[in-house]
Amino acid sequence: MSGFIARRLLQGLVVLVLVATVVFFLGRLTGNPADLMLPEDATAEDRQRLIEALGLDGSLFKQFVAFISSALKGDLGTSLRMRQPAIDVFLSRLPNTLAIIPWALLLAMVVGIPLGVVAALHRGRLLDRAAGTIAVLGIATPSFWLGIVLIFLFSVELGWLPSGRMGGPEHYVLPVITLGAFLTAGFMRLTRSSMLEVLESEYVKLARIKGLSESVVIWKHCLRNALIPVLTLWGVFVGNLITGAIVTETVFAWPGVGRLTYEAVIYRDFPLLQAIIILKAILILTINLVVDILYAYVDPRIRVN
Amino acid sequence: MTVRVNTNEPQLGLPAALSRAVAPEGSIAPKIYFEAVGEEEFRKKPIGSGPWKFVRSVPGDRIEFEAVTHPHWRGRPHFKNLHILQIPEESTRVAMVRTGEAAIASISPETVLSAGRGGLEVLTIPGTMQAVFQFYGAWRPSVKDDPITRPRVRQALSLAIDREQIIEHVMAGKAQMPRPFATFGFTDSLSVDRWKKWSDDAYRYDPALAKKILAEEGYPNGFVLKFANVALPGTQFMISIGTAIADMWTKIGIKVNMKHYEWGAFPPMQMGEQPNLTGWASMFRTAGRPDVPWRYNAAFAPDSTERLLGDTGDCQETCRKFLEIYKAVINERDPAKRTTLNDSMVQLIADQWIVVPIIEGMGYYAINKKKVGEFAAIPGRHELGDVFERMPHPDEKPWKN
Repeated sequence: MSGFIARRLLQGLVVLVLVATVVFFLGRLTGNPADLMLPEDATAEDRQRLIEALGLDGSLFKQFVAFISSALKGDLGTSLRMRQPAIDVFLSRLPNTLAIIPWALLLAMVVGIPLGVVAALHRGRLLDRAAGTIAVLGIATPSFWLGIVLIFLFSVELGWLPSGRMGGPEHYVLPVITLGAFLTAGFMRLTRSSMLEVLESEYVKLARIKGLSESVVIWKHCLRNALIPVLTLWGVFVGNLITGAIVTETVFAWPGVGRLTYEAVIYRDFPLLQAIIILKAILILTINLVVDILYAYVDPRIRVN
Repeated sequence: MTVRVNTNEPQLGLPAALSRAVAPEGSIAPKIYFEAVGEEEFRKKPIGSGPWKFVRSVPGDRIEFEAVTHPHWRGRPHFKNLHILQIPEESTRVAMVRTGEAAIASISPETVLSAGRGGLEVLTIPGTMQAVFQFYGAWRPSVKDDPITRPRVRQALSLAIDREQIIEHVMAGKAQMPRPFATFGFTDSLSVDRWKKWSDDAYRYDPALAKKILAEEGYPNGFVLKFANVALPGTQFMISIGTAIADMWTKIGIKVNMKHYEWGAFPPMQMGEQPNLTGWASMFRTAGRPDVPWRYNAAFAPDSTERLLGDTGDCQETCRKFLEIYKAVINERDPAKRTTLNDSMVQLIADQWIVVPIIEGMGYYAINKKKVGEFAAIPGRHELGDVFERMPHPDEKPWKN
């Protein structure tokens, strides 16, 4: 196991270096942030002064070397717009994103997994098709559109919930539904296919022959084994939530890292954008490693292999 | 309190430059406090001289202000608290105004109609910007035989534009016919009425005359025009305007070679010898501001970024004439003489058709009438800024309709 962890950590390091390199160069293809900060009648001298003040003068390679050597010391740069260390800005907003992710995940699992079980048990029949339709709608519906429609319906027309911003429990409802909708579909489909596979297993037939009730067979024996691949997906989904919250947080004006990413892109805040992507990469790599380790403990066959 | 500023020579634009009427704006900060806490701490807890006191900033969410309790020369605010909410998505902003979670939200021209249909008051602020098209490097020897080097050809392109159509269909009726470049109804030291009359005629739609001029200039079958379509930040509708005028030009025989640029890619092209822009027309804009000379300097001075008349190594007759007038304007203290000089500077540029206004844009705000009473914005100023203290309660001054 320790060998496995060491290998995964080394792989993660390689991925991080690649991510840092790609985001550094790709970000700078989009233009110079000084052009967004200056009015249209700024002189060439104004522009040059600001470029120097922002540390964006010098060749790209020189800037990259400076960036890497600072990053190795734990300094991912200073946000051009907020004039604060980029890591601090990220960490100040991360709790706001982590506040909605567990709820979105819980919603997706509470709705998606039972739907998947029901669909598998009624394979080919009306309930299966209905669940399938819900799944397709969940995957196909853009979260941007869904968020705006939910705001229109529940805030503007019905007046039941607030339109946006972070606040009390009522502020969580619409962003959590928007964020969780896509995941619900994923959980449902995976649970369904996993359950169908498990229902054909020999040990399930044995359980029935032994006279166990159908509900015990399904919810205790089948579901437990069907959830193993779902557990793997859980790690991927958390990663998707962290990156995918960009749209939801922007629509609902939620002050999390997703919205921070959007702002960093719009304002070409290169140091902040680099820091966000690198730190998110670290987060996702860590989550995936933890999930893989858990997977090994849950499934003894993985440990043996 | 009196602030005394000493300058080496006349700086007639200084008061405007220190105000929020133009950008970049200056602000007067308390020296002792600033030096005691340093720039970073001042940013976190600023102190200003207005009728609102900074309370706190919640990153990514809002900035809170509280009205001062002492009398203030700008007027004491009617509201005790002012919260500026940071809501990036326009639909959410409008929803918040409709539900009453916010009192006022800035909106784009595309949203004006739906905001009105949603029962909100829509306030329009005239003269916040001009959308223009302009020609780069028309003075360079490398393009001396190009049609765009001829002022009458450039005029023909202007005559081919149906500005009323653009106002009605692209701007949802929420824009105005323009005056000459960077001039507005509130421009200082300018014969604004004269220029209104001039532009009503000069910027008319006359495609027949446009074709006639092109034929007289030797282009009866049109020519290929290279056109950079770009929108500056905050005015995405410029792309639609650019597409519309390109289409209008095709109707007089111009073959438009249009290239779309995202704003981030455009400014670097204005640097150096402008190889990717020389001989091109492009969309551009100017912000609404009360002083003309600074904007003209930024567009036409030989050492400016745009350098539309010439550069330091090649400043020909029109470029030299501009410099002469500009220098006279900024040193002229007599208001009447300054007006005459400004008028001649505007005339010089207008006759060149090197920067051609298309529409005069506006700022737009959706307002919840139950949250704030009727107030008037300041023409030319897109952000409400010091209008906040003048906003009454809805029962003090209800909206008329």
